[in-house]
Formats: sequence, structure tokens, C-alpha cells
Amino acid sequence: MFFVQVARLEDPEGVGRTPLLMVGGSPSGRGVITSASYEVRAYGVRSGMPTAQALRLCPEATVVPVPRGACAERSRAVRSVLEELAPVVQAASIDEFYLDLSGMERLLRGESLEETAHRIRRRVLEGTRISVSIGGSTRKMVAKLAAGEAKPAGVHIVPPGGEAAFMRRFRLAQIPGVGPAFLSALEAKGLSTVEDILPVKLTWLERWFGSTRGRWLYHRVRGEDPSPVSPGEDRKSVSSERTFPRDLVDRAEMERALLDLSASVGRGLRKRGLRARTVTLKARTTRFRNRTVSRTLPEPVESDTALFQVARELLASVLEGRRPGYRLLGVSASNLVEAEEGAQLALFQEEAVESERDRILSRAADRLRTRFGEGALRPGRMVEPNPRGREEDTDGA
Amino acid sequence: MNFTITRKNLHQGLAAVSASIPTKTTLPVLSNILLEATDGQVRISGTDLDVGVRTRTPAEVGQEGVLTAPGKKLQEIARELPDEPVQVTSQGDQIELRCGRSRFKLNGLPADDFPNLPEVSFEEGWNAPGQVLLSLVQHTAFAVSTEESRPILNGVLWELKDGQMRMVATNGHRLAKMTVPAGSSAQGGAELIVPPAALQQVQRLFEKENEVHVGRDANHLGFRSGNTEVYTRLIEGTYPNYEQVIPKDNDKWAVVDRESFASAVRRMAVVASDQTHRIRIGFHQGAMRLTVLTPDLGEGEDEIEIQYEGEPLEIGFNAAYLLEVLRYMDTEEVKMGFKAPERAATIEPVRPDGEEGGVEYLCLVMPLRLLD
Repeated sequence: MFFVQVARLEDPEGVGRTPLLMVGGSPSGRGVITSASYEVRAYGVRSGMPTAQALRLCPEATVVPVPRGACAERSRAVRSVLEELAPVVQAASIDEFYLDLSGMERLLRGESLEETAHRIRRRVLEGTRISVSIGGSTRKMVAKLAAGEAKPAGVHIVPPGGEAAFMRRFRLAQIPGVGPAFLSALEAKGLSTVEDILPVKLTWLERWFGSTRGRWLYHRVRGEDPSPVSPGEDRKSVSSERTFPRDLVDRAEMERALLDLSASVGRGLRKRGLRARTVTLKARTTRFRNRTVSRTLPEPVESDTALFQVARELLASVLEGRRPGYRLLGVSASNLVEAEEGAQLALFQEEAVESERDRILSRAADRLRTRFGEGALRPGRMVEPNPRGREEDTDGA
Repeated sequence: MNFTITRKNLHQGLAAVSASIPTKTTLPVLSNILLEATDGQVRISGTDLDVGVRTRTPAEVGQEGVLTAPGKKLQEIARELPDEPVQVTSQGDQIELRCGRSRFKLNGLPADDFPNLPEVSFEEGWNAPGQVLLSLVQHTAFAVSTEESRPILNGVLWELKDGQMRMVATNGHRLAKMTVPAGSSAQGGAELIVPPAALQQVQRLFEKENEVHVGRDANHLGFRSGNTEVYTRLIEGTYPNYEQVIPKDNDKWAVVDRESFASAVRRMAVVASDQTHRIRIGFHQGAMRLTVLTPDLGEGEDEIEIQYEGEPLEIGFNAAYLLEVLRYMDTEEVKMGFKAPERAATIEPVRPDGEEGGVEYLCLVMPLRLLD
């Protein structure tokens, strides 16, 4: 709902007055719904649904594109209000935050957790005009599920000691961290709800799903989650992917797309002061098959050049012997290290995947873009070939 | 095919070859070994297409012939048989073993399916004393790269020139180089990039005391010693110019007791980052100070006595690289050379004068960048 709220705030006279509002991609291409108003959800529209399908369900709805800049700005505003109210704030995503109130017991004396939550909700609304829902518990996972119960625009507190009882109402698919693969393994054993799992002994869960996953699930369904609220949640990967308006079949075209994705991942890495050792390419075929290939490099990299180089080689390995036709490409960088943390120096500069020059070039490009805008600098390869067919050198950086 | 062989000879032959059989393969015949019974001997061969091993063992051959059979299973059977003569007979594509009252039949595959080992001529090759060859391999092969991104660094460079024999290996972060006098055995020059898997077989199968014959063709190399031969394809390409990265202008020298250095590094490594293995070493007059600071984990420090005269120097290292190099230094003391914190450091054994015997051993370790 965050995206819908922001869209309305951005255009109070227009979509601000439309009850049937969806935020997402265009219905003519392959856009999907990012968020829909509660009124539209009543028609069966869900986030992630193709916009064209959503419009078939609710033809009167208005679709507006995601106001990205405004969303990031509002999200930062919400965060700064939260930071005034709680000592530890962790942003889980653009519209999701965890607050750790430990240590505030004396300050909050005389106020129940429920009252505190309502006060936080009011303050965020006054400060940012964004209406939030708040879930409260002694455990992060339980709080997240409680926030779901609090919607729309409410508060749901699970009292200490009540975690296990609260969990009983959920299906396993609702537990954060249970993905499609795990779910089908669970279904194969006839397990679909928390109630189903509770009587199962730990040893059996371990035997069926492996000791790590089995143990994890055993504790989660009882509302146990040891993870702390940490303000600088460690990033595991930086990625960028794109669904194209039509399938890409031409190799040069795919490589251009990869260059764009690599540059976006590179910027993400450098902005956070990170380098990546593993580069992963994801390609979704016309028939919705996902191919994922990755390579781990001898040294971590951060430059667009190096990321693109690896992504391009990975693409070549994906295309080898297969018919092209891809609707989605994605590049992801993982196995992250702090950019400056103990960088290993190389004996053979020319053999390195990434040279000092590549890094300097990428950082200089970042500075130019920060100053003159995203479009200020583009690789020559990204410039569309001249439509009149005059030959132009479009290669190079 | 029909031959009788002692259990010991059969088992030794199979054990020599079976290590070259790939554990996973898409080509079923590669899980098999090739048995060739000829005049008074049996040749046993195995290969994973990159490296091949062939050995000959005496046998009483009743009827000559060839057959392939599952290598690991044959070896396991030979290991468990009583110490009596083993009678081996082929029946179509099946192999039958009889020994005492034991009898086995295994399914084989037609011998035609088995890949040919490279035809390498040993006539135009050269000889190397086993001890010299094994020492070269042992001191360098550890440093090869295991990353797929630079295939050329997946091999050991073997150079013969100017009466010297040299092996070099590196992963781009650390390098090991050993040079020995080649004597008169090596005529002409050679520059080969050898997969370490082949050198491991050489180490495993050949004795220090025996001479090793080396032969080559355009793309392959063969080693022969006693009754056993190892073949390998060569890695194609040009090895990076390693001479260029060996520092010539290092001007700070430290002499360190190898064992106490290694154990101090091991202690620091416990608290080093799992990813970078970063430790920091300070060289001061008479002392080496080792420190480690890993965010979210903790810190450690240690100090050992050394001989060092130059200006104080702080340098970052991957502890794992240091430990590896120190393991192959076989002297009590090692000498380290530096120019600056971000330049390659050299490590070499300290031998008493006159005991080098013309052997030169040098390792390089590239530092980690220190921030502050």
C-alpha cells in the first residue's frame, strides 16, 4: 500500500481521488502490479500480477507508474521519524522497518506496547502523511506476521509468551523464509499449516528436510526467531534485472542489456563501498524457464567493465547450443567484501579481471552522474545504431 | 584373452592405474581400465582424457587379447583375494577372475571404445633424476591457480634452458619458482605448461632413486620410469612473464626462524577474516610484530625475534599464502625481502654457503593493501 499512498500524495487532485488505483508497469508491455489499493484488491488483484491481467479483473482501475524517486524520499522520511522514536531501526525494504525498543523500558513506563505502537503510528502519519501498520512482538518474525494482521492501518501486538499460540493461525506458505521449493517439499509430506507441523518431532523434520532446514522450521513454527534487529543489515547481494517489452533474440541486443544491468549493479556496489567475488546471470526464456549461471572470481570486483565482462561470458555459456529468446535478464553480485578491506594485490596486472584503471574509470563516471544526472554518461555501445543505417562506431566505453 | 598373474602384481598394477580413473564421468568407458595381454606381460591403462597412466606387469599369457573392465571394482577384488595366482579370462565383453576357490565375472566394454593414450616418443626426450623432478614438483605445484578464469595459471610452467631446469607456478597472488642444474640430460630448450594432476601422478608413482624419461609431442608430454608411464595433455598458451614480477630492487631483508614464524602466523590466522585471511606484520629492528583485527570478531597480537636492520615496515598479508609457502621451505631459517608495503615480498630458504648445490628456490607473496 506504500506505493499507492505515495502515488496519491504525489497527485492529490488526480489519482489522489481515485479509489480504484494500481501502481505498476504498463499493460501494453509486460508490466506487473507493484501495489494496488484495497478497493482494487477486492477484485482479486495482487502484487506481482501482470498489469494486463489485473485490468481484466478490474477494468475501471487507473494504473500509474511507480513514482520511484518519491517513494525513496518518503521512505527516508519515515525512517527518520522512526529513528527519533527508537534506538535501533533496521530497514528491511523500502516500506518495511524493524524497531528494537529494548532499553526504553524506563522511558516508556506507564505505556503499554500497544499504546507505544499507536503513538508511533500517529507520529509517522503526522510527520510524513504515510499511514503505517505496526506489528509488535518479542521476536522479529512474529512482529512481521503481526504487522500483516494489523493491516489495514492498524496495530497488532502479540503479548510476550503468546508467540506460539499466535503462530497457530498461519499456513506454512506465510512464514517468511519458506519459499516455493521448501513448500512443495512440505506439501509432499502433507504439511501445509503450522498446526500440521507442531506435533512432528524435531528428529523427523531434520530427517525429512535436512538438519538445518528442519531445525529452522521447528523453531519458526513455535514463534522462535533469534535474529536481532540490526541497523546495518549485512547485504548479501546487489542485483538488477529487467523484463523486456518483447523477447530478446539478438545477441548484441542482449549484451547491450547486460551492459546496462552490470552498470546498475556496479553503481549499487560502489555506492555501498562493496566489491563482489561472485557474479550471477539470470536469464528467463520465452517459456518461463530460468537459467542461472555464476562465476566466482579470484579477486572481488566493483567496476562496470569487470562485471559486464563476466556477465557477457556467462551469457555466452547460457546461449551455447540453445535457441535464444529471453524475456528477462538479471545480473547479481554476491560474495561481498568491503571495498577497501584487505584488497589482495595482484602480481600480474594485465591478468587481473579488473585493473586499477577500471575502478578509477567507474568511480569517475559515478561522480559525473551524481553531478550531471544519470544520462550524462553512457557507454558508446548503449547508443542505438543510427536508424538511417550510416555506419557509426558504437563500440567502446 | 587368457593370462595368469600373481595377486600382488595384479593389485599393484591396478592400484597404479586406478588413481587416474575419473570418479565422475559422462563417458562410461573411462571408469574402465584397458587390459592388454601380450608376450609375457599385461599392460594396464587408465585415463580421464587429460592424464593417462599405463603400467606393465609380468604375467603368464596363455592367449593374447584386449579388454576393458571396471577399474575400481577390479582393484577392490584384487585387494581382497587370497595370495594365490589369479587366472584372468575374457568371455566376449566379460572378464572372469579365478583365484583359489573365488570366482568373479564382471561386465566390460569393447576395447575399441577405450581412448588411445597419446603416442609420445621417448627417443627424442630427456632424462631427469627422480629426486630432482620430484623435488621440483613438490616445491612448486602447490602454487597453481584453481580458478577457471585463467586456464594458463592452472598449470606448472616447466622450462629447460641454459643447462637449467625450472618449474614455476602461480595463482596471480603468490608464486613459487625452483631452478636446478639440468646437467647434460636436457638437450635444447623446452617450455611446457603441465597440468598439476599429471605431476601428482608422477609424484605418486615414481621413486626418487630412479631416472625418469620424459618425451613429448606437440600437445602431449609423457613420463616413464621403471614399468610405468604417465601421459598428459599440455596446456596451450603463453605463460605470463614471471621474470618481470620478481622484484630485483628489494632492499629490506629479514631473517626469520621458519617454525616460530609459521606458528605465530597460524595463531594470528585464527582471528583473521575467513574471506581475506588478513594479518598485519610489522618489521622492526630485531623484532617482528604480528597483529590481526577483524571487525565483528576480535583482535590478536604476537611478537617474535628476527634479524632485521632496515627502516620499520608495515605490511598486510593473506595468512594462508604465507603458511603455504613456509611449509615448503625446508630450512631452519628463511629470508624475506621487501621494497614497499604494496610490492611483492620474496621468501627464500637460508642455506649455509656451499650447500645450495646450484638449487635456487624463491617464493613471492603479493601483500594485501593496508588502509591506515
